[in-house]
Amino acid sequence: MSAPELVTVTIDERAVQVPKGTGMVETAAAAGIEIPVFCYEPRLGPPVGACRMCLVEVEGMPKLQAGCTLSAQDGMIVKTARTSSQAAEGQNSTLEFILVNHPLDCPVCDKGGECPLQDLTFRYGPGSTRMTFPKRTFEKPIPISPLIALDRERCILCYRCTRFSERVAEDGQLVAINRGAQSVIATFEDEPYVGHFSGNVTELCPVGALTSTQYRFEARPWEIQNVPTVCGLCPVGCNTTATTREGKVKRILSRNHPEVDEGWLCDKGRFAYAHLDASDRITAPLRKAGPRRFEELSWDDALDQAEQLLRAGGASTVTALSGGESVEEAYALGKLLREGLGANAAVLPEDVPDWGDAFRAPLSALRDARTIAVLCDEPVVERAPIVELWLKAAQRSGATIVYGAPGGSVDALVTDDATTTVEATNVYYLPRTPNGRGVADAWSAAGDGEPLDAEPRLLLISGDEAATDPSVRALARHADAVIGIGMFQESFRGLADLVLPSTSYLERDGTTINLEGRLQRQRRTVLAPVPDLLAWISKLAERFDVSVSPHVSVVFDEISARCFGGITFGEVGERASLPPRAERAGTPPPAKEHVAGAGLRLVAYRPLFSGAAVDRTPELQFQRPAGEVQLAREDANARRIRNGQTVTVSSNGTSVELRARIVRDLAAGTVRVAQHDAGELHAHVEVEA
Amino acid sequence: MAPEIVLKDATTKLTEYEATGGYGALAKARAMTPAEVTEELITSELRGRGGAFFPAGRKWSFVPSKEQLPKPHYLVVNADESEPGSFKDNEILSRVPHRFIEGCLITAHAIDCDKVFVYIRGEYSGPYEILVGALEELKDRPEIRGNVTIVVHRGAGAYICGEETALLESLEGKRGQPRSKPPFPAISGLYASPTVVNNVETITTVPPVIAMGGAEYAKLGVPNTRGTRVVSISGNVVNGGNYEIEAGTSLREIIYDLGGGIAGGRELKAVVPGGSSTVILTKDEIDVGYDFDSLGQLRTAMGSAGIVVLDDRCCIVQLGIRFSEFYEHESCGKCTPCREGTRWLTAILRKLDDGRATQGDLDLLLDVCDRINGKCLCPLGDSDAIIVASYVAKFRDEFQAHIDQGGCPLDGHSSLDHVLAPVQMHAHSPAAHGPEVRA
Repeated sequence: MSAPELVTVTIDERAVQVPKGTGMVETAAAAGIEIPVFCYEPRLGPPVGACRMCLVEVEGMPKLQAGCTLSAQDGMIVKTARTSSQAAEGQNSTLEFILVNHPLDCPVCDKGGECPLQDLTFRYGPGSTRMTFPKRTFEKPIPISPLIALDRERCILCYRCTRFSERVAEDGQLVAINRGAQSVIATFEDEPYVGHFSGNVTELCPVGALTSTQYRFEARPWEIQNVPTVCGLCPVGCNTTATTREGKVKRILSRNHPEVDEGWLCDKGRFAYAHLDASDRITAPLRKAGPRRFEELSWDDALDQAEQLLRAGGASTVTALSGGESVEEAYALGKLLREGLGANAAVLPEDVPDWGDAFRAPLSALRDARTIAVLCDEPVVERAPIVELWLKAAQRSGATIVYGAPGGSVDALVTDDATTTVEATNVYYLPRTPNGRGVADAWSAAGDGEPLDAEPRLLLISGDEAATDPSVRALARHADAVIGIGMFQESFRGLADLVLPSTSYLERDGTTINLEGRLQRQRRTVLAPVPDLLAWISKLAERFDVSVSPHVSVVFDEISARCFGGITFGEVGERASLPPRAERAGTPPPAKEHVAGAGLRLVAYRPLFSGAAVDRTPELQFQRPAGEVQLAREDANARRIRNGQTVTVSSNGTSVELRARIVRDLAAGTVRVAQHDAGELHAHVEVEA
Repeated sequence: MAPEIVLKDATTKLTEYEATGGYGALAKARAMTPAEVTEELITSELRGRGGAFFPAGRKWSFVPSKEQLPKPHYLVVNADESEPGSFKDNEILSRVPHRFIEGCLITAHAIDCDKVFVYIRGEYSGPYEILVGALEELKDRPEIRGNVTIVVHRGAGAYICGEETALLESLEGKRGQPRSKPPFPAISGLYASPTVVNNVETITTVPPVIAMGGAEYAKLGVPNTRGTRVVSISGNVVNGGNYEIEAGTSLREIIYDLGGGIAGGRELKAVVPGGSSTVILTKDEIDVGYDFDSLGQLRTAMGSAGIVVLDDRCCIVQLGIRFSEFYEHESCGKCTPCREGTRWLTAILRKLDDGRATQGDLDLLLDVCDRINGKCLCPLGDSDAIIVASYVAKFRDEFQAHIDQGGCPLDGHSSLDHVLAPVQMHAHSPAAHGPEVRA
């Protein structure tokens, strides 16, 4: 590609060189000058010029121009409100008009204190009102879903939310209705806004019109702390900020990593933090006191009992990991068990191949792909939601996306640009767990003995996800004893003899590896109600003469030498970079071959809105998929099935009634049902209207 | 009396139209290259009749060739005539539908397009039926239709959809709101493809221009405003209606000779010269040629040629309310100054009308006009601000009297009878979901 042509633009008497066509807001920013905006948001597609906050004077043009829709041309001379009284008057006018009907309820508005409208009014707006008529009123607040409240009086009609719905999430559910001063934002047909990404509109809203029902009236901006961290609920690892007040997480905001998430978050990552305060949260060690009952015990007693059980289990101890542990937690646990007991056997959450490292690329490269093959059977959006937004962006810019691989499936996306060389091929493996890769690496770095091939005497289950996994629970039946490490009593009830409390990803310091292979840093955003995992593992390890530091940076340094090229903990950074591509080695893993059979192949997938954290967030329950079977259009047509119709899915004598949903991201011959709806269905099913 | 060019030989019948030489211009145009047709239009100096008065031939010449930009070309005809005071396109479509269709086909040839969309105001049921009937007649005349498909699309009742980019959005099935320009439709219009958007009258003038030749057409009218215009006369005149005039005819002649003067023997007070969006003229300003330059000297315009005559019963504040209510009602809600400002203007005008206004309110009214004007995304909001400011500028004493006397100086004798319907009485489009008809 040739270098873009540079042009010189003069803004407020400062000359600045930018590539031709650069937006004026960015051009001004390059000159260190702010052009204030409300509606302008480049992530939402082309500028619309609606709010008129960005008015500037351009030499040679008689009228003020909207800066957001101007692009840099050579020799342009632009004056902002700093140097042009006409532009200043224009911006002052815009604010006066916006405020004509905007309620003066800042003292009780969640946005107050971090509100662009407040900030820009202070800087560019009138100090008093000349509006003496009754303000326009609407019924408020309107719940557009259990997660989001809409205050139409505060709305300044910047259309950011509707553009997000239309152009980014492409769900088309949020729309503007009516006309002129009576225009309001509404959901289509007043249905609740159901979608994986709905919460982003609360963050896009430049006023307090769209607010999170979880955060409403919970905190004021001057009494909160914002802690940068990384989401730990799926393998994307979106960069986030946790807002905390008085030691509690109050909300999760996006923290734009342009290569990973572009500032979008899924609703699980945004709203599921409520699990921190779940009523069955384990806050002290627990001992089995009956088939369905636990009793608390002191930490000294708990460590004594743990030691006892571990000694009894010895090398025949098997560890089941969840994939939600941090690299350091998995390593510390591995070191204790492998060095201290010679217990090398582990049930890893998944097998993440490292073959793809030779084709590693940032997620943002998806946008520039010409063709994308989605080889994964499960819906991408359920496994790695933000990847779905990148796929949509790619499709909008003309990429061809094909779904399904004949004969077998690989949990990966393969992309190609027009040159179709090996160098231009990117592979994105889609793990099932947030840190399955990091956990596997850490476990293998923690020791090098071979596992014993014998019945487990002790099963150590790390994490609630492992504790609720049917195969792990099956294994537990063969063990003499079970130690659990987890957050919620329900996960371990009737299963574990001893449960040691663990912390959430929001309560710990550590690192994780996302689906791109990017090592990212999670930060402790609030103090957990229980001691840090590393602290008690360190104590327990002492009893087995194993040295595990209670300090995460020391543990990291130990692994880093082996796995991460020796970088230090501090070097991971707030917006981590992607390591370069690895040397090509080995052969790609074989595809999981489709089992032959008659009828439609059933894929039972795990919905995004499921799992321990979602179960404990009441506001998210409406997002669970309600009994549906996903079909490709060809298969639906062949069976005369309409979208939304109730159908019978059956195999070998069992059948389930589900609602048909015709989807595009599915190859013909395959149907999808959420795991919890699949019940006893076999690998091949028939679907009938 | 000027020669009729657009409205001459009125007929809705194909045979009758052909008998008077109809579709002859089309044959002539098809024998020419598209560039030659466009050149003929440039020579004729025909300018757009929708209101912006942009040279039609030049607009066509902006369409990039398919080699430059490999995308389909579209012709979109703006028949969403909704400007208060204008009803000329209604008459043109009703009386000379085949001349209009011939204009579409010639223009399609000139811009190398085979898809024409006619976006017709939903409330125009009569003209719609006539146009559809005329297109039906062409069903078995492939030699006339050529490879061109004409789609008639009925609007759902929005003034803003007469703004060309909002029209395109609406045609694409989206919310009718203007786009920011550039890009202009000639480069990226309907479905992001090169599109020419022309008014009904412009298109209907194309066949006579081709038939008589651009140079001959340009002999009519005055410099900068060639040819004829169909004007709509309404309000307090004896003979309201549409008249085709030669450009440059004096406004007094139009009102008194064609319109038959002021109804009921009353006095003339003022004239809205080109539809609601144009600056008002006082009774002393009507000795002016009805053309671009002459009206321009009075800082007003022909607009869409809707001449609204106001007699001495007209309270200028009430006139402001009537128009401002219209703009408030029709504001699309996209840009801030128009959405909020038009509503505010109406409120201040009502306060004046109620006799509750203070001196400060009059200053505020002008200041709000000033703050809207030039800051909107499209001309809708600007229009409201410009006309209201023009009412104050030309009738300041009357506004002042509303403040001083605590109400209207006409004291109950004011009337806007026959002067446009208030917005509450506007009909609603019966055809929000009307069928589309193809030729």
